[in-house]
Amino acid sequence: MGESWFHREFMQGRRLLFNFLFYGSHLGIFGYGWYSQASNTKLAALNGLTYSVWTSRGAGLVLAYDGGLILIPMLRNVLRVVRPRVQWLFPADENIWFHRQVAYSMAFWAMVHTTAHYVNFINVERTQVRPERALDIHYGQAGGISGHFMLFIMVLMYTTAHHKIRQQCFEAFWYTHHLAFFFMIGLYAHATGCFVRDSADPDYISSFPFYSTEHCLGYLSWRFIIWPGIIYFGERVYREIRARRATRLAKVFVHPSGAMELRMLKPSFKFTAGQWMFIQVPDVSKFQWHPFTITSAPEDPYVSVHIRQTGDFTRALGERLGAGPSVIAAMTKEAMKGSEKTGPLGIRGDFTEITNPERGLPTVRIDGPFGAPTEDVFKSEVAFLVGGGIGVTPFASILKHIWYRQKRGNLGSLRRVEFFWVVRDAPSFGWFQTVLQEVEAAQTDPNFLRINIYLTQKISEDMLWNIAVNDAGGEYDPLTLLRTRTMFGRPDFKGIMEKLRMSIESGQYLPGSNSQLKTRVASFFCGPPTLSKIVKEAAMATSTSNVEFTFAKEHF
Amino acid sequence: MGVFIWHQWARFVSIIANVYAVWAGFWAIIFRKFFWDFVNGTMRNPGGLQPAKQDAIFITLIVKAPVIPIIAMVLGLFILALEYPIAPLKRLSIHRSFVLKVVLLLFQAFLTILFYQGTNAAIYATTAAIGYTRAITKGEQMEEAKDNRGKGGGRA
Repeated sequence: MGESWFHREFMQGRRLLFNFLFYGSHLGIFGYGWYSQASNTKLAALNGLTYSVWTSRGAGLVLAYDGGLILIPMLRNVLRVVRPRVQWLFPADENIWFHRQVAYSMAFWAMVHTTAHYVNFINVERTQVRPERALDIHYGQAGGISGHFMLFIMVLMYTTAHHKIRQQCFEAFWYTHHLAFFFMIGLYAHATGCFVRDSADPDYISSFPFYSTEHCLGYLSWRFIIWPGIIYFGERVYREIRARRATRLAKVFVHPSGAMELRMLKPSFKFTAGQWMFIQVPDVSKFQWHPFTITSAPEDPYVSVHIRQTGDFTRALGERLGAGPSVIAAMTKEAMKGSEKTGPLGIRGDFTEITNPERGLPTVRIDGPFGAPTEDVFKSEVAFLVGGGIGVTPFASILKHIWYRQKRGNLGSLRRVEFFWVVRDAPSFGWFQTVLQEVEAAQTDPNFLRINIYLTQKISEDMLWNIAVNDAGGEYDPLTLLRTRTMFGRPDFKGIMEKLRMSIESGQYLPGSNSQLKTRVASFFCGPPTLSKIVKEAAMATSTSNVEFTFAKEHF
Repeated sequence: MGVFIWHQWARFVSIIANVYAVWAGFWAIIFRKFFWDFVNGTMRNPGGLQPAKQDAIFITLIVKAPVIPIIAMVLGLFILALEYPIAPLKRLSIHRSFVLKVVLLLFQAFLTILFYQGTNAAIYATTAAIGYTRAITKGEQMEEAKDNRGKGGGRA
């Protein structure tokens, strides 16, 4: 579909470099593991097993490497801190992608390692290089037991992490993935018991680490790869402590679009615009943490999220808050009716506060914040923000934040903001409209912020007339109640970016900008993958040497 | 909370189990060993475990001629064809039968537990069979794939 596999993996500089370094380092480590076993005269007895033992040792070292790498992309707090400093080097936001690449590699090398060991042990039994049966090694010694356990844990983790299952039942994935704890313990313990040795029997000593390096000749890789595990464990403990700090759910609003807005107070919580956090509601689920984008600006006195009831957790949360699907449906219906009637000064932006007097508001815990690429808005001259559907949430925070900073006259290198919102149906405008209205009304420079809203839904004839009649000569758009007019159909991003580039190059767009300097147009996207691809391709195609278009996206 | 669809999960486990079984069967042709030979077997140095006399039938089918590993490989490939399913099986309704899959997986587990390399395949096949059994008891149904889907990626 579109580009070929070869094109994707080898024809893009960055990806090619990644592939070279990632797979190159794997092959290099495999080669080293093989060579150092094969050339070790102390292990001559084991080398009698020939290829299988060299393969198993090489693959074992590669697996240690992968075991050390697999947790690194999950060190969310560490990543958040180092992110601004390493962004130029590698895309720190693609951490889950990297986690998956390591996992795929791990599955492959586990196959190689296990296959080689099954050959090793049958030959150990036949030649009696060590006086034991294959059965004893497989099911009686630390290496064999932990290895079989790790393989079974991998089966459970990989199968439940498949995107189909993860989307269908997130908690199955969530809980099963915590088997990683036992997996890591198995990994660190896999080489215990002085398995690689030049003596027939293990050489134990009474002091730490309880084996003598005289005769136990393993790679001792656990001494290196245990650190990401320890840091990760520490991070989880820290997150737990941080989550326990006082948090109060102050207010819950339901917007006519069906989105719930949760406003929370947590004095110890500091974040920047465009970040996300985990939320836990013990009443709904005791252990689960769910990620949501923060929609309030750092300057706001509260932390807010907008939640649409689409998944199992969010629906259960709505039920608990007293804003179940039936309530939402009734409200949405009313809002739809309202939208037909409202004139230019309608009231469709209204939302309702939910108090739920019988049960009160539940306790909530929040954990975060975690990084997202949209923090970088203030480093470029032009910000090209694109939100698709509910993917507009981080932009609520960013636009509000821009507004606050504009008031303080502290915008960094940011000169202009182009904001696009591609959305299907009119009622979804509801909650976001208030934010946009505030920001738009506050603009002193009419050119600084341009809001472009695209409605992709097919509209009925009645609605069409309604718009036509109300729109003509009205100061505000009849749908969004903004000064900006709503556009219909899908935006042609390539054409838009092309025009933008031309006006930058001709000096009209950023008056007074030195044309010899490079202008950076940073596009940020959040929303469905199909739209993401379109925006990315448009940005890549439009980029030139003096007007650079960059692309970053936020993952849900 | 989210409904866990057992047959959806069991399918992935079944695929892993049978890929493992095919791979294990291949190696069992090269390195032939009856897994249960330690029962009443005698140790010889060198030479390894010598199976007891009453195991003769398994020795014939695994060590002298690798019949059981080959059957496991063929069965593994068949189950894989059923799980994907491949084009000729897609039109038939048997690829949606959980009972058939449970029977085949248990049979696969029985075959693979007999030879040295197949133990993990046996464990995973049993796990998949348990998954499908849960799917049956919960009354899950596999939807028939819709026609007129067209070829993937062909849509504008």
